[in-house]
Amino acid sequence: MNKGKKIKLSTVAGVIFTTLIAFSVLLPILWLLVSSFKTDVGVIKFPPRFFPEEWTLHQYLYVGDSIPILQMTKNTVIFAGGVTIISLLFDSMAGYAFARMRFRGSKLLFSIILLTMMVPFQIIMTPLYIEVYKFNLLDTYLGLILPRATSAFGIYMMSSFFTGLPKSLEESGRIDGMSEFRIFRSIMLPLCKPALVSLGIFHFMNNWNDLLYPLMLTSSQNKRTLSAGLAVLVGNKVIKYGPTLAATMISLTPLLILYIFCQKYFIEGVATAGMKE
Amino acid sequence: MTNNKGKRKRYQAQNQKCAYLFILPSMIILSVFVFIPLIASFVISITDMNIFMKDVRFVGLKNFLRLFEDGRVRNATFNSLYFTLLEVPLQVGLALLLTVCLSKNNRYSKLLRSVYYLPFVCSMTAIGIVWSMLLDPNMGLVAYWLKQAGLETIAFLKDPKFAMPTVIVVTAWKGFGYTLTLLAAAVLNISQSLYEAAQMDGAGSFSKFIHITVPGIWPTISFCIVTSTIGAMQMFDQAYVMTQGGPLNKTETVVQYIYDRGFQTAPYDLGYASAISVYLFVIVAVMTFVLRKFILSRGEDADE
Repeated sequence: MNKGKKIKLSTVAGVIFTTLIAFSVLLPILWLLVSSFKTDVGVIKFPPRFFPEEWTLHQYLYVGDSIPILQMTKNTVIFAGGVTIISLLFDSMAGYAFARMRFRGSKLLFSIILLTMMVPFQIIMTPLYIEVYKFNLLDTYLGLILPRATSAFGIYMMSSFFTGLPKSLEESGRIDGMSEFRIFRSIMLPLCKPALVSLGIFHFMNNWNDLLYPLMLTSSQNKRTLSAGLAVLVGNKVIKYGPTLAATMISLTPLLILYIFCQKYFIEGVATAGMKE
Repeated sequence: MTNNKGKRKRYQAQNQKCAYLFILPSMIILSVFVFIPLIASFVISITDMNIFMKDVRFVGLKNFLRLFEDGRVRNATFNSLYFTLLEVPLQVGLALLLTVCLSKNNRYSKLLRSVYYLPFVCSMTAIGIVWSMLLDPNMGLVAYWLKQAGLETIAFLKDPKFAMPTVIVVTAWKGFGYTLTLLAAAVLNISQSLYEAAQMDGAGSFSKFIHITVPGIWPTISFCIVTSTIGAMQMFDQAYVMTQGGPLNKTETVVQYIYDRGFQTAPYDLGYASAISVYLFVIVAVMTFVLRKFILSRGEDADE
């Protein structure tokens, strides 16, 4: 009897603790959401209120006047989307070759690729900048996308997925006289849709949110991504609170929607990253 | 027979060529944008190159000697270490504690785990903007609530003493859900029969945690510690958005100082920036090596 009560107490404490933490996570995000519907006065009102006293779309309608939000969103979509699509293609091609084909030097090359996963970005940052500058690609979409067009992690992840597929699959394709690329494209690639979605989300989220990389490789306002552009504008303290809130909310919305609908894939990408060791 | 063999050989040769074509795009990109910069970084660090890249001369170890006398490098190194030594235990510890509370795979646990992951999906820019506003000492909601509760308010990000701790808490707040996801996946992988056997031996829930759960997820815990340490040593975004390194350079990290020297402040000294990068790289490599050695040996103890 006594023991049952004790367990119950610890369970109750656990529930209270976990719920409190959940509130601490949700409240700031909720605050951002509701505050973006406040009036100019409501945003800087003292004492501050959590919810708007008067709901308005004003901040969203006029955010474009102080922040080039459309241009920034377009840049981010092109950058993060471009990287995701191209990287998925190149990662899966290379991963497929390493997993399913035999060629001279494959083991050595693969270990070198795995090693590059450990190269931190800050060590290659300066030379990367010089290269992109020398290629005349600073402040262009191509200059942003190209260095990210493949990733060691993606190659690793795709290769481990392909390794797990049965060998008989491409045999049947070869007997039918299909070319290697067609075997890859029409037999193997459709089988790894879940891995592709997870990896795609991983790339998209990382690039959408990245700060230092786009900050360094863009110099003009009209090539800045949402996270880099907002960081600069807010850092300069020239923007009013209202438009900043609306722009921040806009920058979060695509990923939040994606997260709500594809939660499973967000977590799976992470779980694979965790098995890297 | 010979014909067949020849055919096979030809097929293999063709297959090889094909394989190289498959890896070609990735290899080119990795070579140009990872391998070459990696080597170049060491070379640039012994030159006096600036952003205009004219009249570049080799200066030997001058940049490195300068670095050891630069008070801002010392300050930034201290800040990065301070940040790492507090942020990593906070993030991993909180995640571990919550993993224990949410180890069952019921609906409540699943829901909360996906709630905790939410800040990880958001950009540090957005998170930084929101928290800077909430923590503003004059008009922020948190400061106001603290005052209402009769507590003394602090200036959080604007106070030299509290700026770094605040950045640490916000970073842990953003990242613990990610660590939790990894740990929870590992816990769910532990065989239930181990717990049942322990139950029969009369083990309490605390001893089950220490003798079954922790050894079972130790590889994942050590992975989280190592990766978050590497990440924390490269901290940039948080300080850039929330404090710009201030107040009084109290939150300026090494990566921020590299960015400042190379890209923000004239004369855009790329040689010096590279030297600091190499310096940071060495620190991180040593830390990773030591951590792994220490954690792996502990892992073996736990297995016994």
